[in-house]
Amino acid sequence: MQGALTSPVDWHAIAPELVLTAFACLVLVVDLFLAERAKWLAMPLSAIGVLATGAATLSLVGSERTTLSGSYEIDAFALLLKGLFCVIGFIVLAISFDYFRSGIRYQGEYYFLLLCSLLGGLVMSSARDLVTIFIAIELISVPGFIMTGLRKGDPKSNEASLKFFLFGVLSTAVMLYGMSLIYGLSGGATRLDRIREAIDGSGNEPLVMLSVFFVVVGFGFKISAVPFHFWAPDTYEGAPSPVAAFLSTASKIGGFVGLLVLMFKAFPEVADIWRPVFAVLATLTMTVGNLIALKQRHIIRLLAYSGIAQSGYILVALALIDPSSPGVSRQALESALVYIAIYAVMDLGAFAAAVAYARRGGTYFIDDYAGLWQRSPVLATLLTGFLLSLAGAPPMAGAWAKLFVFLATINAQVYWLAVVMGVNAVIAAWYYLAVVKRMFFEAPELEGPVEVPYFLRAVMGVAALALLVVFIYPPVITELAERSIL
Amino acid sequence: MNDLPFLDLTLFLPLVGALVMVLIPKRWEALLRLAALVVTTATFVASLGVLASFESGTPGFQQVTELSWIPEWGIGYITGVDGVSLWMIMLTTFLMPLCILTSWTIKTQVKPYFILLLTLETGMLGVFSSLDMFLFYVFWEAVLVPMYFLIGMWGHGRRVYAAMKFFLFTLAGSLFMLLSILYLYFASQGSAAAPTFDYRSLVGTPLALEVQILLFLGFFASFAVKVPLVPLHTWLPDAHTEAPTAGSVMLAAVLLKMGAYGLIRFGIAFFPDAARLLAPAIIALAIVGILYGALIAIVQHDVKRLVAYSSVAHLGFVVLGLFVGTIQGMSGGILQMLNHGLSTGALFLLVGALYDRRHTREISEFGGLARSVPVLAGIFLIVVLSSLGLPGLNGFAGEFLVLLATYQSYGWWVIPATFGIVLAAIYLLWAYQRVFHGAVSIEANRNLEDFRMREYVMFVPLVALIVAIGVYPKPFLERIEPSAKQIVRQLNDASVIPETRGLAEAP
Amino acid sequence: MARSYFSQYLTIGLFLVVSVGLVMGTLQLARLLRPNVPSYEKYTTYESGIDPIGQGWAQTNVRYYIFALLFVVFDVEAVFLFPWAIVFERLGTQALIEMVIFIAILALALLYAVKKKVLDWL
Repeated sequence: MQGALTSPVDWHAIAPELVLTAFACLVLVVDLFLAERAKWLAMPLSAIGVLATGAATLSLVGSERTTLSGSYEIDAFALLLKGLFCVIGFIVLAISFDYFRSGIRYQGEYYFLLLCSLLGGLVMSSARDLVTIFIAIELISVPGFIMTGLRKGDPKSNEASLKFFLFGVLSTAVMLYGMSLIYGLSGGATRLDRIREAIDGSGNEPLVMLSVFFVVVGFGFKISAVPFHFWAPDTYEGAPSPVAAFLSTASKIGGFVGLLVLMFKAFPEVADIWRPVFAVLATLTMTVGNLIALKQRHIIRLLAYSGIAQSGYILVALALIDPSSPGVSRQALESALVYIAIYAVMDLGAFAAAVAYARRGGTYFIDDYAGLWQRSPVLATLLTGFLLSLAGAPPMAGAWAKLFVFLATINAQVYWLAVVMGVNAVIAAWYYLAVVKRMFFEAPELEGPVEVPYFLRAVMGVAALALLVVFIYPPVITELAERSIL
Repeated sequence: MNDLPFLDLTLFLPLVGALVMVLIPKRWEALLRLAALVVTTATFVASLGVLASFESGTPGFQQVTELSWIPEWGIGYITGVDGVSLWMIMLTTFLMPLCILTSWTIKTQVKPYFILLLTLETGMLGVFSSLDMFLFYVFWEAVLVPMYFLIGMWGHGRRVYAAMKFFLFTLAGSLFMLLSILYLYFASQGSAAAPTFDYRSLVGTPLALEVQILLFLGFFASFAVKVPLVPLHTWLPDAHTEAPTAGSVMLAAVLLKMGAYGLIRFGIAFFPDAARLLAPAIIALAIVGILYGALIAIVQHDVKRLVAYSSVAHLGFVVLGLFVGTIQGMSGGILQMLNHGLSTGALFLLVGALYDRRHTREISEFGGLARSVPVLAGIFLIVVLSSLGLPGLNGFAGEFLVLLATYQSYGWWVIPATFGIVLAAIYLLWAYQRVFHGAVSIEANRNLEDFRMREYVMFVPLVALIVAIGVYPKPFLERIEPSAKQIVRQLNDASVIPETRGLAEAP
Repeated sequence: MARSYFSQYLTIGLFLVVSVGLVMGTLQLARLLRPNVPSYEKYTTYESGIDPIGQGWAQTNVRYYIFALLFVVFDVEAVFLFPWAIVFERLGTQALIEMVIFIAILALALLYAVKKKVLDWL
């Protein structure tokens, strides 16, 4: 332990985290000295912080290094995800600006918490150590509890926050129990590579199984996989919508990153145990998420359930991993990364459109989307683009995301899972199209044009354009993903 | 001259046009219409370049463009034409300007309408010209989206229901195709160095019979929905009837052909053994379709629905031709695809013209129209006759070849099929009589405006082509036949005995 | 290894049983030995010899929670500071800088509390 404490820290390697921490503190302090009218300045400051973090991440591109005695790793995988978290952070900031400026008092605190949660994501991308992973997942979640409850006057927000908190704590406890078992089993190792060595051939199958099971259940709550999903729709609905957008992307992706890293780095030798678990989870998650989404009439709840279904596709990638055939595993991981990246952008886009509409002359109810095309062609077109992408239809990148998961599944020769995915894609198309149908095919019931703030419009436009570009030339993302294999 | 990539030009001109049109303000409706017309006409001219540089008498692919797209997955941008796809491409580009012209009467949301039509054209052309399976799949799916909006936003009556039904039916079918394509991709690993989506390398991939059947059914699920074969046809009457005129034309003339085209290009070429084995079942379905479509058409009281059901019957002939396993059948089937596109396209245009005048499609609302609109009635008659296969008009050559081939290979099976032609005469002529002849019972029918200039421009080339193919089908057939011959050889050649690559057990 | 792992839990279990048994046993033993003369005085709540007043249910001002929070902040700080101080000489300047950063972040919390006027009582 002595060595761990005195080993030199590679400051450059953790530069993105440092920058983000500094900006988070800065936002908190600056907010204290701002007049009530000027509180909105916290948002541009946070945006600069996220951009600076992105720049720091970019400065690391091409380097591979570890620091903090091996528990913190900078590689292409980590950098890709850090970049993705920065993008998510930026889009969420754009969604939040208008929402929080008019209505909620705790602007500075919100941006501070958002940056902290984002920091958790950045840490998670590099964490290669049980303790670091645990701290990262908590750093993502805990600010989330508070952000969810920011609409203090609204009982729904309080309910959301409390549910999220209770489920979050429960999942933490379960996960921690699993981790402590692993710690004991591996003879006191916390670094994932050491754990892998210790588990391999330890002959302790039942206990390993138990600990992996606990860890998976713990993460299952975080990524809201069925049957651990109950908190998600209520929480998303009650939370301020930008927070819901953040939870359904950054928070969920953080969980997935942790899961991917753990499964690839610590437990590949016992893949036979957990692969079927993920196959079942994926099937349940996709099917149940989609079926319940069919009945939703509230756009945020719809996106919540559809988000649950979407995470099923990422779980499929985990169900394909097979250490004995590296080609299949490589492809599975690659497809998961591509899916995560594309999912983040398209889901945020849909949330952004929903928030923009609800704030400017609309509501969250899908019935009120009728005739949106006539009231705001731009917003309707953008939302349609994102929904089509979520449905996996051309000409948006979501089509590739689904195709790559299909490709990986067929390659792994798990045909039944491919059929399950196919059926689910059709069910999903139904409810996404139902929204599109209302926007385009029905006459408007609410009056007046919908004016989306320019900044948000620009961000949504860029996101949609990015999805389009990736569709036309997918190597933009696939090559990144290929280089970022763990 | 030959160096110009006419095919790719044809393929992307409409899309580029659509992108340019996005920039035109939506108030300038006249300019938007004109722009759409110019773009589609230019596309047609470009496709004439494809036709001119097409060398007849060779079976392989011509004018191939090959670019890498996603090299690590073996996905490329590969396009090319052969005798099968050539006429489908020509049909699409030819009908598109007519669709634009018939859409002159669209008054709401003009800008998105034309943009969607142009995007649709690129999608359809892409389906016919891609030689990379992935590219094909992407175009196949891409056709869905604009069509969905065209039906849903500018359709009639139960348009929303029809649009959703159309989308979900097709999507469900195409996902099974996707699974088959992906399986094929990994199966090709054995024969080629690296797995590839290149159609030309995939043809002849050795597969065990049971695998072939499964994969064939995967493709078949998608194509049979599109064609459509009974019992997967239920989306068709709704979609065709509720779509705006241009949408119905494109659905009937081109989208249905995408299914038949897929059966030839992929179903038969990839899985000849399975196709041979399943041919009797498919032929039975086709004959059921011929009779069923015709019988349902007789009792329709909506002109457009009648034409829609007649498509089910006509496409039955096409599928019959493709699977009887002789060159006449194959060539006849392909020619019939072209003919059905022209005749039914023309019928939908005419029904659209009637609708524009009377705003109804009920047969009982018409009667005695021949007196007020003689030119329209005359052209309607020609098209009706061509649709029911009168010798001298285009419908005859294709149907005759198909029936001849059916007789040669399947003997008495030809009798119910022939009966379909008789039924076609009944429903078409009876409907024609009720609409155009008899006494004028409704006052609104008395003073209708006959063809205007725009409509003359639309129908003169159509009728000319209908007559031309009927009188002199040789230039058409001689470009089809080499490719047809090759496909029939693939279908009949049992020597392709596969090295077994069975479906491995799922873990 | 699995067996030895579980046997360690067995030790804990035994320890639990024995410790709980010991407490219960002593209490029961006392009950047997002591005289039992109940009276009203003996049954009242013991409040350091003063007669209890009012209900047992008392309310505390919600604003105390802020003090509790602030207390936790500095309590945790102390937990980290003591071990650090013991090994500080061996760790050198880097540890000093790190601890300064740590305290600075905590100071931010205090600053926040002051600016939000939570320390102004009423």
